[in-house]
Amino acid sequence: MSETETNAGDPAPPLAVAAPKRGLTVGVVAVIAAIFVAFPLLVTDPTTTSIAFFALVFMVAASAWNIFSGYSGYLALGHAVFFGTGGYAVAVAARDWHVAGGWPVFVLVLFGGLVAGLIAIPVGLVALRTRRHTFVVVTIAIFFIFQLAAFNLSFTGGTSGILLPLAPFSAANFNTPFYYVALVILILTVVTSWLVRRSRFGLQLLAIRDDEDRALGLGVKTRRLKLTAFVISAVPIGIVGGLYFDFVGQIYPQFAFDPLFDLSIALMAFLGGLGTIVGPLLGALVLESLQQYLTQTFSSSATYLIAYGVLFLVVILIMPRGVVPGVSALLERRRVKAAVNASAERDAKVPGGVAGAAQ
Amino acid sequence: MRVLRKCLYMALAFAVAGLVVACGSSSNSSSSAAAGSPSSSSSGSSSKSGGAPITIGTSLSLSGDFSADGQAFERGYQLWAADQNKAGGLLGHKIKLDVLSDSSSPAQVVSNYQKLIGSNKDALVFGPFSSLLTVPAARIAARYGYAFVEGAGGAPTVFGAGLHNVFDVSIPVKDNLVTFAQWVASLPAAQRPKTAAYATVNDPFTQPQLPVAQKILEAAGVKTVLNKVFPAEVTDYTAIAGQVATTHAQAFLLGSVDVPTVSAFTHVFIQQHYQPKAFIATAGPDQGAQFVKAVGPGNENGIFVPNGWFGGLKKSDSQQMVKEYIAKYGGTPSDVNADVAEAYSVGQVLAQAVQATKGFDQAKITQYLKSGATLNSVQGPVKFDPLGENLAQKTFTFQWQNGVLVQSLPTSAPGASPPLYPKPAWK
Amino acid sequence: MSFTALLQAIVDGILTGGVYALMAAGLTLIFGVMDIINIAQGVMVILGAYLSYELSVHLGIGLLPGLLITVPFMFGLGVAVEFCFMRRLRDQDRTQMSILVTYAVAIVIEGILTAIFGVDYVQLQASYVNSSVHIFGFYLADIYLIGFALAVALLAGLYYLLYRTKFGRSVRASLQNRTAADLIGINVNRVRTISVGIGVSVTAVGGMVFGATNSFNPNTGYDLISRLLAIVIMGGMGSIGGAMAAAVFILVINDVVAVVWSPTWAPLVYFVALVIVLSFRPQGLFGRSAVRAQ
Repeated sequence: MSETETNAGDPAPPLAVAAPKRGLTVGVVAVIAAIFVAFPLLVTDPTTTSIAFFALVFMVAASAWNIFSGYSGYLALGHAVFFGTGGYAVAVAARDWHVAGGWPVFVLVLFGGLVAGLIAIPVGLVALRTRRHTFVVVTIAIFFIFQLAAFNLSFTGGTSGILLPLAPFSAANFNTPFYYVALVILILTVVTSWLVRRSRFGLQLLAIRDDEDRALGLGVKTRRLKLTAFVISAVPIGIVGGLYFDFVGQIYPQFAFDPLFDLSIALMAFLGGLGTIVGPLLGALVLESLQQYLTQTFSSSATYLIAYGVLFLVVILIMPRGVVPGVSALLERRRVKAAVNASAERDAKVPGGVAGAAQ
Repeated sequence: MRVLRKCLYMALAFAVAGLVVACGSSSNSSSSAAAGSPSSSSSGSSSKSGGAPITIGTSLSLSGDFSADGQAFERGYQLWAADQNKAGGLLGHKIKLDVLSDSSSPAQVVSNYQKLIGSNKDALVFGPFSSLLTVPAARIAARYGYAFVEGAGGAPTVFGAGLHNVFDVSIPVKDNLVTFAQWVASLPAAQRPKTAAYATVNDPFTQPQLPVAQKILEAAGVKTVLNKVFPAEVTDYTAIAGQVATTHAQAFLLGSVDVPTVSAFTHVFIQQHYQPKAFIATAGPDQGAQFVKAVGPGNENGIFVPNGWFGGLKKSDSQQMVKEYIAKYGGTPSDVNADVAEAYSVGQVLAQAVQATKGFDQAKITQYLKSGATLNSVQGPVKFDPLGENLAQKTFTFQWQNGVLVQSLPTSAPGASPPLYPKPAWK
Repeated sequence: MSFTALLQAIVDGILTGGVYALMAAGLTLIFGVMDIINIAQGVMVILGAYLSYELSVHLGIGLLPGLLITVPFMFGLGVAVEFCFMRRLRDQDRTQMSILVTYAVAIVIEGILTAIFGVDYVQLQASYVNSSVHIFGFYLADIYLIGFALAVALLAGLYYLLYRTKFGRSVRASLQNRTAADLIGINVNRVRTISVGIGVSVTAVGGMVFGATNSFNPNTGYDLISRLLAIVIMGGMGSIGGAMAAAVFILVINDVVAVVWSPTWAPLVYFVALVIVLSFRPQGLFGRSAVRAQ
C-alpha cells in the first residue's frame, strides 16, 4: 500500500475517486453496440429475434418520445398518432405506388417518417397552445380524432385496413433484416437524443421543464422550441411505425392507433428515467420483452395483468424517478460515503507519519 | 463516470432481458388455461415415428377484445383433441395442444406463431380467432410452408390476401344474410315488411354482409329507411338505436360482433316500444346463455341469427360434441357457443387431411385440402375452393323460439322449424 | 331525417349526459383537490357495476338498495388507494406520476376482476331497466331518468358539501394553497384522503346506472376513461357543475351528430369541439383561471 503513503506536507487527495478514462467509456459503449449488432447472428431462434425486433421498435419510440416529453416536461399521450400515421403512409404508398416487399419498403419507411414529421407541425401548433394537464388531454383527444379518421376515410381502407406487401425473406432469416434496419434507426435516434441533450437547444428545453414562465422571462423562445422538439420526436416514431406494420404485414385503425402504445412508451421512459438518454432504452427493452414473454407464458390474462400492474407500482413507488436515476443516486450515495470514509481514514493517519508509513 | 454506469446498466438489462426471453422461448412454457389438461409440450421436433406425441400449436385471444370467443375456441380445440386421442390420436400419435395467448393483438400473434412454428416446431397449427388476426398469422405459416386451417377468419380480406395456404372451415361471411333476405323477399306482399333499417358496427366481419342483403330486399320492394355504420368503441348505443326506433322500420338487420351490441339495441327498442316484425343480428344471438341473460329471458324470442351451426343440430358427431361439452361445462345445447363448433371442425378437417396423406407433410396436406375433396365436420360438409373458402356448407338462419335456438331457414331444410313471424312482442 | 328523431337525440343526450356526469364527478373532484388524474376511474366504475351485479345475482339485493353497500365499499377503496399510492407522490411531478400510478392500479383492478368474473359480458337486470315513461309522444327510459335524477341529486349534494360545509371549506382551502391550509390547522392529509374517498364512492352509483344500461366486462373500463377525461377537462378541473354541463354538452353533440350525420363521425366531432374549447380556454368551460400554474 505504498501508494497511499502521505507525507505531512502533501495536499489531501481529492474526495472523488478518479474518473475512469475516456477510453474505457468508449470501450463499454462499443462492447454494447457489438452485442446488439451480433445478437441475431448468435441467437437464431425466431421467437427471440422477433421479440428483439419489437423491443428495438419500442426503444426507438420511447427514446424519441423522451426527446420531447422528457426534456420539455410536457407529457404527450398522443404520440401513437405518429406511429400510426407513419404506418399508414407506408401502407398506402406501398399499395398505390406498387412497391415490392422487402428492401424497397424499407426505403419507404423514411417516407413514413417524413409524413409523421409533417403531421406533427399542425398537431403541435394546436396542442402546444395549452399547458400541463390540459395539454395531456388535448393530445389524447387528437389521438382519437386520428383513429376515427382512419376508420372513416376511404383511402385508409376502413375497418379492414390495408395489407402490406410480403417481404421475400426466407422463413429462417425473416426477422434479421428488420432487426438491423430497426437497429440503425435506434442508433440514429439515440445519437439525436444525445446531441439534443448536449446542445443549447436541449438546455433551453430543460429550462422549460423546470420553470416555463421563468424561461420565457429570460428570453427563451418557448413556443418555437417546443414545436421543434415535438416535430423531432415525431419523425423516428413515424419511421419505426412504418417498419413495425410492415413486419406484422397489416395495419388497421384500432391496431395502428392504440392508446396502450402511448401509455407503454410513457411508462417505459418513466421506468428507465425520464429525461435521461439511457433511461427510455432500458425501460423499453425490459418492458417490451417482459410483456411479450408474459403474454405468451401466462395464457390466463388475469395473472399477466396483475403481475404487470404490481411491477409498475413497485418500481414507481420505490424509484419514482426511474431505474437509471434511482440506481445512480444509490450508487452515488455509496460512493460519497466510501470517499468520506476514506478521507476520514487518511486524516486519522496524517498526524504522526509513522502510522501511515508503517503499512 | 455517469455515462459508464449507464452503459453498464444497459448491458445488464440487455443480458437479463435476453436471458429471460431465451429461457422462455427455448423451453416451451405454454399453459392452457381453463380446462386444466396438462398440455405443455416438450421442445423440438415433430417426431413422426410411432407413439411420440405430436404437438398442434395455436394462438388464441384469451384476453382483450376477442376474449370471450377465444376462450370458446380453446374449449373447442381441447374437446376435439381429447376426442381424437380417445380414438387413438393422429396416426397413432397422441395429440398435445400448444396454446399461446395473444390478447387480440396482431403483434403478439406474429411472435406467437414464430414461436409455435419457428421455435417450438409444432407439427401442425390451428388458426387464431378473428379475421383481423388471421392474415398476419397465415403469412408466417406460409413462410414456413405450413397449411393454415382456421375457423374464424372469414372476412373477404382474408381471401383477398393472396395466400395459398389458408383454409377456412366456416362459411365465408359475406353471404351470411342471404338466406334471411331471400325468405323475407319471398313472403306474400301483404305480410312482407314494407320498410327495413340497417345498422352495422364498422368491422370487416359485419360490414360486407349488409349490402348483400339490402340488394335482395330492395329488389323485393322493401324500402330502406335507414342505413348507418357505427363505431366499435361506442359504449352507449342509445342514439343510433333510438334513431332506428323512430323509423318504425318493420324489419331490422343488425351487423354486430358481440352480445353487448345486440343487447343494447334490444333494450332501447323495449324502452321505445318499437316492435320490428323481423329482427336479425349477425352475431351475438349465437352465443347461447350469455345472450339470453343479457337481453333478459323472453326477449330473445323471435330474433334471428345466421350461422353454420347451432347446438341442436341433428348430426351425430355434433350431438356427441354437445353432449361432452355440457358434461364438462354445464348448460343446455342452446348455450353452446358456435365458436366451439368452429374450433372442433378445424381439428376434424386437419385430422382428415393427415389421415388421407398418411403423414404430417405440410405440402401434401395443403395439396390434399386444395384438391377439392369433401370432408366432414360437426358444422357440416367442408370443401375448399381455390381461395380456401368453404363453399360446401349453406348458411342456416336460426331463430330463438321459446327459449331454444332452432334452425329455421331455409324453410325447406330438413328439420327446420317454421319461423316465428312477426316477432313476438317484447317482454 | 325527422324532427322527432332530432329531438329524441337531444333528449337522449341530456339523459345519458347525466349518467356520464355522475361518473365524471368523482374524477373531477379528485382532479381538483389532488391534482391527480385518476386513470383508474373507468375501471372503478366497472368494479362498482360488478359489485351491484354480485349483490343482485347472488344475494338478491336490488340495484338501488345495493348502493348502501357498494358506496361505502368504494369509499373505502378510494381511501386505500390514496393512502397507499397517491400520498407517496411528491408534489413536483405529481400529475404526471399520478397518471402512471393510477394506470397501474387500473391494470391490477382489471386483472383481479378478470380473475374473479372472467371475460363474459354481463348486464344488470332490474324490473325497471326496460320500462319507459311516455311523455309528449316520446318514450323516456326509466333507467335513464333514474340515473339522471341520481346524478343531479348527487352533484347537488357534492356542491353542498363543498360550498356549504366546514369540510368543504377545508377542501377548497387545501385546493388553493396547501401550505396556508396547513398553517391554519387544516389536516390537509385527512381532507385529501376523504376527498378521494368521496370521488371514488361516486363510481359505485355511476357503475350501477352504467351497468344497467350497457353490457360490460372488465375490459370496458378503457372505453369509458377517455370519455370521462374529455368531459372533465372540458368542464374545467375541479368544477362539479362544469362536469355536468360538459357531459351533457358532449353527449348531446354525440347523439345529434350520430343521428344527423353518422355515428362514426360523432365522437370525432366532440373531440374536435374539445380541442377547440381548450385552445381558447385552456382551463375548460368552468374552470377557474389558474391560481396554480396552468
